[in-house]
Amino acid sequence: MKVRVNDVELDLAPGTSAIDAVFAAGGDVPYFCSQEYMSPIGACRMCLAQVGAPRKERDGSWVMDEATGQPKIFWFPNLMATCTTQVMEGMVIDTLSERVKTAQNGMVEFTLINHPLDCPVCDKGGACELQDRSYEFGDGLSRFQFDKRHNEKHHPLSDLITLDRERCIQCKRCVRYFEEVPGDEVLDFIERTAHTYIGTADPGLPSNFTGNIADICPVGALLDASSRFRGRNWEYDHTRTTSMDDATGAAIIVDARTGRIERIKAALNPDVNKTWIDDGTRFGHEYADSPDRLTTPLIRRQGKLEPATWDEATAFIAERLKGLSGKDVGIAIRSDSTLEEGVAAMALAEELGTGQLDHAPRPAATLIGNQVATITDLATADAILVVGDLTEEAGVLDLRVKDALKGVTPPTLMPHGVPIADLRLKEHMPRQREILTVAAPYRVDLMRHAGATVRYPAGGEAAFFRALGKLAADANALLGEADEAAAGMSTGQARALVARLAAAKRGVIVLGGLALNRRESAEAARALVKAVGAKELAVGPMANSYGLELLGVLPSHERYGYAGMLDGAKALVLSHLDPAQDGEVAERLRGKDLLVVHDIFMTETAHLADVVLPAASVYERDGTVVNLEGRFLPVRAAPVDAGSSTDLTGVARALGEAMGKRLEGRSVRSARRVLKKRFDIDFAELPDHGLLPRAKSRGPVKALAGEVAAGTGNVLVVPSMARAEYLSRNRHLAAAVGGNRLRVNPEDAVKHNLTGGAEVRLKVGGTWRQAVVHVTDGVPRGLMTIPSLPEQPVGLAQADLAGIVVEQVRLEVAS
Amino acid sequence: MSDQVATAAKPAPILSRHDPRYEVTMYRYVGVEGAHTLDFYRSHGGYEAARKALTSMTPAQVIDEVKASGLRGRGGAGFPTGVKWSFMAPPDGKPRYLVCNADESEPGSFKDRYIMEDDPHQLVEGMIIGAYAMQMTFGFLYVRGEYYLGTTRMEAAIAEARAAGLLGKNILGSDFSFDITVHRGAGAYICGEETALMNSLEGLRANPRLKPPFPAAAGMYGRPTTINNVTSLTSSVHIINRGAAWFASMGTDDSKGTKLYQISGPVARTGVYEMPMGATFRELIYDFAGGPTMEPKAFIPGGSSTPMFPWEDRFLDMPMDYGTLAKNGSMLGTGGVIVIPRDKCIVDALYNLVRFYAHESCGKCTPCREGVGHWLPRMYQKLVSGLGRPEDVALLESVASNIKGNAFCPLADACIGPVQASLKWFRDEYEYLAANGKSKYAKNDWWQA
Amino acid sequence: MNETHTHTQTPFFADKQEKLAEILSRYPADGRRSALMPLLWEVQREERYVSEERMRELAEIVGTTATEVKGVMSFYSTYHDQPVGTFHIQVCSTLSCALAGSDELFDFLSNELGIVNGETTADGRFSLQKVECVGSCGTAPVVQVNDTYYERVGRGRCRHLVDALRQGELPPVWRERGGDTVGAAKAEPVKQPTDRGEG
Ligand SMILES: Cc1cc2nc3c(=O)[nH]c(=O)nc-3n(C[C@H](O)[C@H](O)[C@H](O)COP(=O)(O)O)c2cc1C
Ligand code: SF4
Ligand code: FES
Repeated sequence: MKVRVNDVELDLAPGTSAIDAVFAAGGDVPYFCSQEYMSPIGACRMCLAQVGAPRKERDGSWVMDEATGQPKIFWFPNLMATCTTQVMEGMVIDTLSERVKTAQNGMVEFTLINHPLDCPVCDKGGACELQDRSYEFGDGLSRFQFDKRHNEKHHPLSDLITLDRERCIQCKRCVRYFEEVPGDEVLDFIERTAHTYIGTADPGLPSNFTGNIADICPVGALLDASSRFRGRNWEYDHTRTTSMDDATGAAIIVDARTGRIERIKAALNPDVNKTWIDDGTRFGHEYADSPDRLTTPLIRRQGKLEPATWDEATAFIAERLKGLSGKDVGIAIRSDSTLEEGVAAMALAEELGTGQLDHAPRPAATLIGNQVATITDLATADAILVVGDLTEEAGVLDLRVKDALKGVTPPTLMPHGVPIADLRLKEHMPRQREILTVAAPYRVDLMRHAGATVRYPAGGEAAFFRALGKLAADANALLGEADEAAAGMSTGQARALVARLAAAKRGVIVLGGLALNRRESAEAARALVKAVGAKELAVGPMANSYGLELLGVLPSHERYGYAGMLDGAKALVLSHLDPAQDGEVAERLRGKDLLVVHDIFMTETAHLADVVLPAASVYERDGTVVNLEGRFLPVRAAPVDAGSSTDLTGVARALGEAMGKRLEGRSVRSARRVLKKRFDIDFAELPDHGLLPRAKSRGPVKALAGEVAAGTGNVLVVPSMARAEYLSRNRHLAAAVGGNRLRVNPEDAVKHNLTGGAEVRLKVGGTWRQAVVHVTDGVPRGLMTIPSLPEQPVGLAQADLAGIVVEQVRLEVAS
Repeated sequence: MSDQVATAAKPAPILSRHDPRYEVTMYRYVGVEGAHTLDFYRSHGGYEAARKALTSMTPAQVIDEVKASGLRGRGGAGFPTGVKWSFMAPPDGKPRYLVCNADESEPGSFKDRYIMEDDPHQLVEGMIIGAYAMQMTFGFLYVRGEYYLGTTRMEAAIAEARAAGLLGKNILGSDFSFDITVHRGAGAYICGEETALMNSLEGLRANPRLKPPFPAAAGMYGRPTTINNVTSLTSSVHIINRGAAWFASMGTDDSKGTKLYQISGPVARTGVYEMPMGATFRELIYDFAGGPTMEPKAFIPGGSSTPMFPWEDRFLDMPMDYGTLAKNGSMLGTGGVIVIPRDKCIVDALYNLVRFYAHESCGKCTPCREGVGHWLPRMYQKLVSGLGRPEDVALLESVASNIKGNAFCPLADACIGPVQASLKWFRDEYEYLAANGKSKYAKNDWWQA
Repeated sequence: MNETHTHTQTPFFADKQEKLAEILSRYPADGRRSALMPLLWEVQREERYVSEERMRELAEIVGTTATEVKGVMSFYSTYHDQPVGTFHIQVCSTLSCALAGSDELFDFLSNELGIVNGETTADGRFSLQKVECVGSCGTAPVVQVNDTYYERVGRGRCRHLVDALRQGELPPVWRERGGDTVGAAKAEPVKQPTDRGEG
């Protein structure tokens, strides 16, 4: 479609908006209400331009302009909002004329009449779209002689978001965001005309995705409450990196100042998270700046851990290792270690000659199935089955499922990036809920958006998949009563679901941790994937679960896995793992010849260690992770001050030196040489958006020998967006989510004498857990749920319900 | 039409209510005791047009008849009704909706109200005809919240019609089925704007929607929808009854038929008058409304949104049709004439209207929310309270011109048009007030016994 | 994070399931949210305002959030989030009514009742509000009491109206249409004090 913007001729796809035509032509118009990935609404009226187009005669030929011999341009009488104007063949867009400038000045003036002049104290100062545009387009002088509208200035919408109602310019981005992206309509305009203000009647903004509104608010009206008044935009170091909070690999920007992280914002990755992240990812960083971070190595001398230098610490370890056979050493790293760290761990294991190597937590089944879907596959699927709680486990996927419900394919990128105004998107679009089925043993948030839901009995994943498999094999099969009960659905329901999946051209089955933590359910799930011709997305427990499995940070034999080595190895090197939370395991660890702990805090296990090495947090590492679709994504260190802590490559270097060896993986660079050979990718050059070299990178997967989770229990350990291991140090996030929730059915609450809001301790498996009681009919009778820990992965566990200790009873705050 | 003989033989169009050939039709039974009942309506020929359409005409024939009549939408914009009806895609078996716009909130307009209160079956019949023509599956009647009596009368009429087989399945024995839900508004002028109305009907905030898509393509619940004013639909009853030629025999070149005009302000007999299009303001104001009761200086021709005219012969003698008013820089709008007496300070009169638009702006777009909703009324308030300065008039003008044509929907221009017209004709009153702190004309008690 | 709320009040529709079903049935199945406005009317008619508690109840009924209900409700001028008086007196103040003395009429009522625009008397009997054009320009000035229009309210009628309301009753309406007399000529006199616009 030929379009002319000022003097630039362009050829654009039909359906393109005029504002994108202007930007594609290298031009500029101001805009406040349009926002990438959201519906254009033409509300701010900033993007006005003069627009004209040729017209056709009845016979289909152009009406000609006699003077020029060219098709005559008919200008629209009014200026047009370019964000809501679709290009037409031959359209002419003028953004430079006096008339346009006057109108744009006029709009800036209207926008400013009620906007406070508090830029000097506004967090958005320096990054404010209104401020920038006022300099460019405003007249500089105010002709408005009246008092500005006064309104509430520090209104806490939730523990995470503060609203300044005076600064709001009613662009509606935040309101549209909630309706269009997470579908949680918890924020809206109240009143009308000049009194219109942003407000809520759902206190605390009940959604896992509230922080994004702080990113998209064009002014300083919506602010991240955790970082308010901490610094100005230009004072921050912005590090573009990948979130390590879950397996989706969302793009984020870490803003640090004077050695600490002040805030995290979402970054753009069109194929992964677009520009959205969940609140766990955004607000879950405060722990990294906790004053009790380890900053120096510690060595146990006369039974006491004492500060030491790295040289002393590694010499100590090397010395102790000498007395041991390499085979007796176990090395385990947490599943959010980078590939580079994985290389270091493997090199160390090889150097010591041990097969006792693992990453944990690790599910019972492989994450690398035969038909791994991409996130884009999910976002464009025509049938989706989700098993588990995606909203908590992999927030990005929750949002991308909601994209699929809209049935609009991701936009094609333009020369200036994501289209500013994608005219296919509308407010209050109808959602094709019928394509989504969500199954879980308790009520999960995504069920509100699903056409069909299944609540199967806890631990019943295998039965659930087998039932579907049976109908996939034979559509006329009948499930017996017992099978129906075990699968949580009737034959009819199961048949309909199978039929939908089988008929779909782009079916995707998402396997949450609950489906993967037992081999029998994973196998049944994969049989179904195959039978219905769908693709699968397996949600690994942590950020690099997929990558570490792919790389092969795995034991040489089943019994040398993580659980095995805790038992059998004589010496242990543990990175970011804290198995001693389980009292019985702690007992066993006491008997080890050598216990080396690499971590960021004095964990239970660190207290038992012979040597404690200060670790880099996930925000302080350079490296690579592979997300759940197999995409290699760059992780970059933010300038955070954490003493002499280092990632595992640093440990490999120091320890290697102490052993007189130059280990592979002794630095990120050296690790990348190994990775290059392995994957044929130059990881130093990895683009921001990552690489998905599916065909080449599929390495041979060793037979996995995961831990077999219990098939029974009275407490279901469930995924949580707010990571339980750090929640007590994430002040704002903890307040917003109401702590680690022990969710209890009302009847069980009565039975066990628990009241909502009570702070309790209970023993789950061998581990004492702290939790806050939350009474809800979202969990079935006879089942409680508690958030998972890296050492207590999702699945059923046995808790001592008679022994619940109530520490403090508080009134529950309304959710 | 191009046939010369036919043209020559055609009788002169009816352009005045004084024309003996003219007959009041739509408003005929308004005011008659008991006219709102089905019995009355039927005994006065009611539902015969519907019967005729449903049993002896195809939907396309109904549309053609309405097209041929030259009927233009009575809601304000004057879009040809038959043409609008023909925009609907052919039925696809899925729902499609007829919405009757009875939000009537434009100051100076009150014709739909009396139809609904006193002759509700006429509207039901109009909706049946429109629905049949477009093969609608369901109808909504959106009545402004304040019209409580109108709402109850309409609900009662619909219930009566349903009980008599005039609504519901297989109406009048045909295979056409249709029913109507009455939806009550709650006080928001913008709900008269058709896309805002649909949002309101869908239970959303009533902000106008983006067009395209137009309602005919994706309206209510994303389905094809047509929105018509009350009297557009009631007109169709008489067009079907008496034929397109009858309707087209009244009116000017671009405006055909008979229409309900309203008149308010200081005239002897305010109210609704049905007249052929093309009758003049003078005929309405003097011959029917009995002339002004105070010395007039201006009149608003078609509801508060339409730019005013000074009280001059050239304007009083204009025919009340779409084209003439547009040519003269105003609009026919709803046909709601408001007479403004000399003693009403024009700035004060405009403050009243600007305050109305400020109150009714939906708040969606910047120039309307900030300009119409905030800045303009503040400036007027300053002027009328005597605090203005001479330069304020130019500022007011400049702010108004920054709003004009730049807002999302026509509401802002509905405010600015009148403001600009008042400045055009009565700038002296603005300047006098700004310079002297008091108005040129001032009467301080308008309330009568 | 979306959990159900605990209700402290009996739901409004608990004992009105039939009415609720009837209202929902007016709209197509995919248009459940359309029932929001009629449901708000239903609550307000009985309770004279809509509380946050009721907003939550309605949100659950139509499948949205309390926020959305509040957003919609606050958009319109005639839904109230505070109780209004037994007699909600609304005086149209737009141009045609102003030209017929609505400002003076309003001031009179304000003095009589001792309340200003938007206020309710301490005894909860009267609320006074200026409103915009209610479509009675031909019979201005107009006073709307609850749902009933009183038209051409001259000084005498206004006095009469206030006295009647003070007695706790809505006086019979004096319906006037003015204008065209074609229809009226066929009927009994238009002035029908018995024709009450049911309030
Ligand atoms: C601000 C605004 C208010 C309107 N109010 C009304 C109204 O109250 N009644 C009405 O019929 N049309 C009103 N309209 C016009 C409608 O948008 C629409 O054009 C009309 O209902 C179509 O019906 P018609 O073609 O039969 O005239 C309004 C338009 C605007 C922009
Ligand atoms: S709070 Fe911010 S994002 Fe929301 S409408 Fe106001 S300016 Fe826009
Ligand atoms: S109107 Fe806001 S970006 Fe176009």
